[in-house]
Order: sequence, then C-alpha cells, then structure tokens
Amino acid sequence: MSSDVEPTEVLDVRGEVCPYPDVKTQKKVKSMKSGEILEVLVDYPLSAERIPRSMEKSGHEILKVEKKGTSEWSILIKIK
Amino acid sequence: MTDASLMLYGLVVGIIFGFVLQRGRFCMNSAFRDIIVMKEYTLLKAVALAILVQMIGFHLMATMGWIDLNPKPFLWGAMIVGGFIFGIGMVLAAGCASGTTYRVGEGMMGSFVALLGLMIGTVITSVGALAWLVSDLNSGIFKTITTGDLGLDPGPLLKEGSTSLTLANIFGLDPWIFVAIIAVVILAALVWKRGGEETKVEGTLSERIFKKGWNWWVTGIAIGIIGMITFWTFKNYALGISGGWFGFLNALITGDLPRLSSGMLNWFTFLVIGVVVGAAIAAVIAGEFKLRAPDARRLLQQFVGGLLMGIGAIIGTACNIGHILSGVPQLSLGSMLGGAFIIIGCWVTAYIMFMRG
Repeated sequence: MSSDVEPTEVLDVRGEVCPYPDVKTQKKVKSMKSGEILEVLVDYPLSAERIPRSMEKSGHEILKVEKKGTSEWSILIKIK
Repeated sequence: MTDASLMLYGLVVGIIFGFVLQRGRFCMNSAFRDIIVMKEYTLLKAVALAILVQMIGFHLMATMGWIDLNPKPFLWGAMIVGGFIFGIGMVLAAGCASGTTYRVGEGMMGSFVALLGLMIGTVITSVGALAWLVSDLNSGIFKTITTGDLGLDPGPLLKEGSTSLTLANIFGLDPWIFVAIIAVVILAALVWKRGGEETKVEGTLSERIFKKGWNWWVTGIAIGIIGMITFWTFKNYALGISGGWFGFLNALITGDLPRLSSGMLNWFTFLVIGVVVGAAIAAVIAGEFKLRAPDARRLLQQFVGGLLMGIGAIIGTACNIGHILSGVPQLSLGSMLGGAFIIIGCWVTAYIMFMRG
C-alpha cells in the first residue's frame, strides 16, 4: 500500500479493544515529529472510523484509510 | 401473544437491533467515555437522538392509549450503588451491555469473555451468593420512595398501580411539559455540537447501508424506532439487555425452562440472542467479522468488567439500555439516577485508566 508514501513508523494495534487503539495512536503521535508519517494497523471497526476523525480534529492530516482485508484497516497519518 | 410468537418476535426484533448496533457502532461506554478521553461526541449524539425519539414516541403512544408507561421505581440506594458498579464494569469490559453483546457477533473474543462474566454476575446477584446485596439495598433506609410516600398523585399515562417517581409527578405537572423542555435541550445541544464529526459516507445506497458505518443520526433514529416498536408490541417495557442474559444462563443452569417460556424472560432472552445474530449478519456482509482476541491481561480485565456489569445491573435493576435508553425517555427518576451513576462510574474509571500521566 505504501507505493506512494513511506511511513516513518508503524503502529500495530490489531487485536486491541476499545479504546486502546485510539489511546495508543494518540500517544504515538505525540512522540513523533512534524511531517513524519504514522501507519496505524487496526482491526476494530469503531476505531477505524474514530481515529481518522479525532486525528483530523487535532490538526493532523489523514493521507489514506484503506481496508486491507476482513476487518483490517491501514490508516496513514501525517503529523502536523 | 402466545409464548412461541413472543419468542419469535423477540428474536426478530433482536436481529434488527443487533444489525443496527453493529452498523452504527452504538455503544454507550464509548459514547460517555469518549467525551472525557477523546473529546468525541459522535456516539453521544446518537444516544441523545435515540432518547429524544423514544421520549416523544413513548408519550405519544401513551397519550393515544396504545401503551402505558412503566417507569422504574425510585429505588435510590440500589440504583446509586448498582449504577456506579456497572459504570466501572463497562470501562473494564470495553463495552456496555449492548456494546459487548453486538461485538460478540463481530467475533471479538474479549467481548465474549466479558459477556460470560456479565451472565455469571447477573446470576450470582439474582439468585446466588450476592443476592443479600439486593435485599439489603431494598430495605431500611434504602427502601423505594413511592409517590404515596411523598403524598403525590402518580399522574397520567402510567401503568395502573404504578407508584414510581417521574420528573412529571414530583412536580405535579403534565409529562408533556417535560418532554417539550428536554426535547428543546437535546435539539439545542445537537445543533450546538453539529458538524465536524460525521463519517464521510459515500457510495451507493446499498453500500452505505451494508458496507460503511452509519452516520450518528441514522443510528439514533433507527434505535429510537426499534425501542418504540418494542414497547408497542411487548407492552410491558422497551428494550433491555442484561435481564435477557440472566434468563439465558439461569435457564441453562437450573434447567428451569418453563421460566424461559413465561413472563418477561423469554422476550428479553430471545432478544439478546437475536442481537448477536443480527450483529454477526451485519459484520459478515460488511467484511468486518473476524475471530480475534486481545492478550491474556486484557481478557482478564474484560472478564472482571463483565462480572461487575452483571452485578451492577441486577443491584441497580437495569443496565445502560434499561435505564438510559428505555427508562430516561419515560421520565423515570430512578432511571435518571441509575443512569447518572453509570456515567459517573464510567468517567472515574476512564480517568484512572486512560487519562492519568
């Protein structure tokens, strides 16, 4: 999927339950520098919708949300 | 309605309810927790809208004489204690009673473990080792405060003989006055918090129904209508979850199957089974069904959470659905108190788990 953008870091929160995917993503994003790209791998449907929403609200850019398989998503976030 | 048709009816409504829960990701644990943890209001808006639809719907149906409102009694001590325990439990379990139930249908084994805990919690608190908690919190100073105790007239639209306190009868006013006030408050809040949070839903109509998560307002209205249909047909009460799981495990353990086929238990038990089936159907169609499990530590946490939810729901006489979704729209003061303490328990626990440090 990373044909156009190469993520700086990958956060795999597959298997995690509500709201750990979101909380771990927030923490990770805080530790990263502006302009870096984080790829989040998630298999929990609510978080796959909520993470892009909350990241955009905090000013980060969502480059891509891709469904990669059965209940599996990849979210590409560009840090502000 | 005969037992068999009541059971079938519960199953069908449950399947529709489960489908909507999964599509709308409707979970009150997320709704309330996200306010403080993520400053996210999307699911809260769905909850508020479902309450609004039902509040107007229930009072309309009662005014037309199609149903009698059946608000829960003001069992204040038990509702405070039970609500608080339930609220703690739902954060640990990573889902409220309805959220946990629909996620079992998505193949989430952590929610399955939480559900087992919930069932065990309801049984030990109803008929087992913790039943003393319920009787202690029903007696002495904790006794139910009735309209008679306060010298109040129960007022119109209520079930014959009901002595439950409602927002309307404690002020001696017509329930419609409070329906109107609350409706204005909810609508104002929805307008104030509008925009910015909607899922950008694109695609054909069938894609939007079956493949994408629903917008909050679609979910809110759909759940409100399901609650109304339930009350209209079932007559005694609207939606509930934890009582159904109690009936399920209790019937299996005691072999007391006749109990399953009489009274309320059959309806709620078949409803919750239907929710799992409906959510599974929705998840399979959307490509979101996957058997998956978190690590051992999280599974244990979810089991304890489920256990606390079961204990809290029986002590407090209802879970988040029975109190907040079905009780608040009937203006039950007890459900408002129980619901408030579910939210307080949720916030205290969410703060400790996710917001410190």
